[in-house]
Amino acid sequence: MGRPYGLLRAGFPFFKTVGMRRHTNFPVDVALGKENRLYILCRNGDASMVRKYTVDEDNLGEIGGVATWGVAIITDNEENLYISDEAKHCIASFNADGESLGTWGEHGDGDGQLNAPAGIAFDAEENIYVADALNHRVQKFTKDGTFISKWGSHGDGEGEFNMPWGITVDELGDVYVVDWRNDRVQKFNSEGEFIFAFGKSGCEEGEFNRPTDIAVDEHGDIYVADCGNNRVQLFNSEPRYVEKFLGDATLSETAIDYMMTNAGPNRMRDMANLEPQKLFRRPISVTINGDGLLFVSDNCSYRVQVYKKHAIPLTEQEFGPPRRSPTLHQE
Amino acid sequence: MSNADVALTAHLMRRAGFGTTLTELEEYVKKGYENVVEDLVDIERCPPIDEDVVDRYFGASEGGYRTTWIYRMLNSPRPLEEKMALFWHHVFATGVGKNQHILASSMQIDMLRRVGLSNMREILLALSKDPAMIFWLDNNENRKGEPNENYGRELLELFSMGVGNYSEDDIKDCSRAFTGWTFTQPPPLYPQGYYPSHFVFIEEEHDNGEKTFLGHTGNLNGDDIIDIIVKQPACATFISRHLYNFFVADEPQVPSWNVTPPQDPDAVDTLSNAFLDSDGDIRHILRTLFNSDFFKEAQFKKVKSPTELVTGIVKLVGTYQKPELGMAKYPGATTLMGQELLNPPTVEGWHTGREWIDGGTLTERINFSVGELSDASKPGIEQIISRLKSNGSALSPDEFVDRCLELVGPLDVGETTRESLSRFAASQGDLNMGADDAEEENNARVVRMLQLIVSSREYQFA
Repeated sequence: MGRPYGLLRAGFPFFKTVGMRRHTNFPVDVALGKENRLYILCRNGDASMVRKYTVDEDNLGEIGGVATWGVAIITDNEENLYISDEAKHCIASFNADGESLGTWGEHGDGDGQLNAPAGIAFDAEENIYVADALNHRVQKFTKDGTFISKWGSHGDGEGEFNMPWGITVDELGDVYVVDWRNDRVQKFNSEGEFIFAFGKSGCEEGEFNRPTDIAVDEHGDIYVADCGNNRVQLFNSEPRYVEKFLGDATLSETAIDYMMTNAGPNRMRDMANLEPQKLFRRPISVTINGDGLLFVSDNCSYRVQVYKKHAIPLTEQEFGPPRRSPTLHQE
Repeated sequence: MSNADVALTAHLMRRAGFGTTLTELEEYVKKGYENVVEDLVDIERCPPIDEDVVDRYFGASEGGYRTTWIYRMLNSPRPLEEKMALFWHHVFATGVGKNQHILASSMQIDMLRRVGLSNMREILLALSKDPAMIFWLDNNENRKGEPNENYGRELLELFSMGVGNYSEDDIKDCSRAFTGWTFTQPPPLYPQGYYPSHFVFIEEEHDNGEKTFLGHTGNLNGDDIIDIIVKQPACATFISRHLYNFFVADEPQVPSWNVTPPQDPDAVDTLSNAFLDSDGDIRHILRTLFNSDFFKEAQFKKVKSPTELVTGIVKLVGTYQKPELGMAKYPGATTLMGQELLNPPTVEGWHTGREWIDGGTLTERINFSVGELSDASKPGIEQIISRLKSNGSALSPDEFVDRCLELVGPLDVGETTRESLSRFAASQGDLNMGADDAEEENNARVVRMLQLIVSSREYQFA
């Protein structure tokens, strides 16, 4: 199924909160499994673990010791987990039960070597693209770690990077890289040929303050974790700014269960201003599933905030022709 | 560059900073002492630390604040900014053990970094509005008609003037002036983690009655109290003695200051005059201090605090110049040596000088130092080895000792230590660093020599 001709954007309401302190400490990324399973990578100090939940917040346990400085987590078609470790300069893999499937990558700047790998993403053939942050490049590997190709170097021109972080591949095979320290996103084809870039430093619409991650949905919509601005920005595929998310958290079911047996914190919460508690604090990753659920790792609030996209695909007959100019005329 | 220049600059950087790598020391010496003082004091002459990198790699972790602070100490191009945050942390000792709110405690350190080089009025005002301090000394319970005098008392006794310079009535009215100075309730730790709190003035809890403080009468608020304090010669003397104790030479512990005069009254007078002449401008006082003869002549007259020892050793071995795995061990190391950052034992702060050292803490200091110097591949040790190699010819045992002492400090050692080092050096004869077939053995000899040096009595002094 290709991308729709147009979209009626009915809304993108807040859906729910997942996790709490102790369960999901400092979440840095979310990977998707079958049957609504979530794998939430959490990094605290020099250790990282994976919390396994369902979207309904059934707690499926945890996998400890998956990385030191874990940055990103993705799943393959068999629901094996791949995790980047920027301190050990490697990609570690596990099955869903947490059994190690091996680790690949070594420190260096040669072909296939890594220096602080950050974002990782599969393409349709299950090759892995790695944002090789301190080598300021993208590398492509088979999922068992055989080097395929690379592109990029340090700089701020087209196809150059300054400590890239998040990376994703859309259903067409194009690659989007969050160029962290250049405050922009760059899009490439699968061969690494530059297509476009967007964003600049700032806090206005379409501007970024050290963006960290990116996701693209089946409609071609682009979600950017604009971490330093404590927001997620949504762009269409052109890419034109559409809207932003600032955080609307409620208490998760797990948190409510906890609070029901803790009188003191209930009183403190009652005395406090609730407004800031809804907002993102360091939203560090974005992941979207086929149902339009957008998962945002709300890093400093120990939770994942989930939004649900409501958009209706439009045919050419249902979507007026493109306009070059804005209009005031009402049809 | 003369050896004296190198030694003096190294002294300055141990005191005003956290030590240097060899390369950094050479660059500082090239700049000239007075220029380096200006760079240190006038911090805007140097760029700030790369906050993006700090945030990217240390942005969030429980208990990570101490690690991040040590990273800042090691890598900030503005080392005096961090040193002053540590200085004020000693003076305005606030323990996370009471508030159990690491974010509030760490935000206090951020505040000390921000205002630490400003002037005394701004510093005391920021301190009085700091939620961690307010909670630490119960000012959140200081209300009109039911005053809590804890903060008012310590503000005078430990934070600004010292015992003997005010009356009990001054304490009472000082405390009344700070009624209603409290903080907003942050949400609880569970389920969403620490949230910041902010200063808030609650008018209805403030005592608007007439107060008399140090001879000034009126409806005094906390701001007025601070205005009065910073104009007192006692405040100038008290803060100057703190600065002398921290930067120049160890003084007795603070509670005895009202009965034990300073070891160098002229030096404290010089600093007090600088304070009074500049309305408590900390930069002006520090510039005076670092350019003074009494400072330059005070090499190795202070016992290193655990934080200074740990950071000095890490600087020496040249590691962690960028974020790397394993830094979290350093806050643990200072704690084992008696200084848990963000958690001083009481409002008096840490007892310093020779009280840093007892049998247990000395063992920790030496074990830590020896452990850090055990690997010849660390950049700082590689650099020392490279310098020894550059000598070309073989080094006699005495030359070997001299060169190592020079590269580690330079460090002056007494006769006993020198004899021990020379005995070790002589046990294996001349050191020929150029001999390719003995590289591993030679490197091991150098490492062992360095380990002996950092285990010495003299190395415990800054």
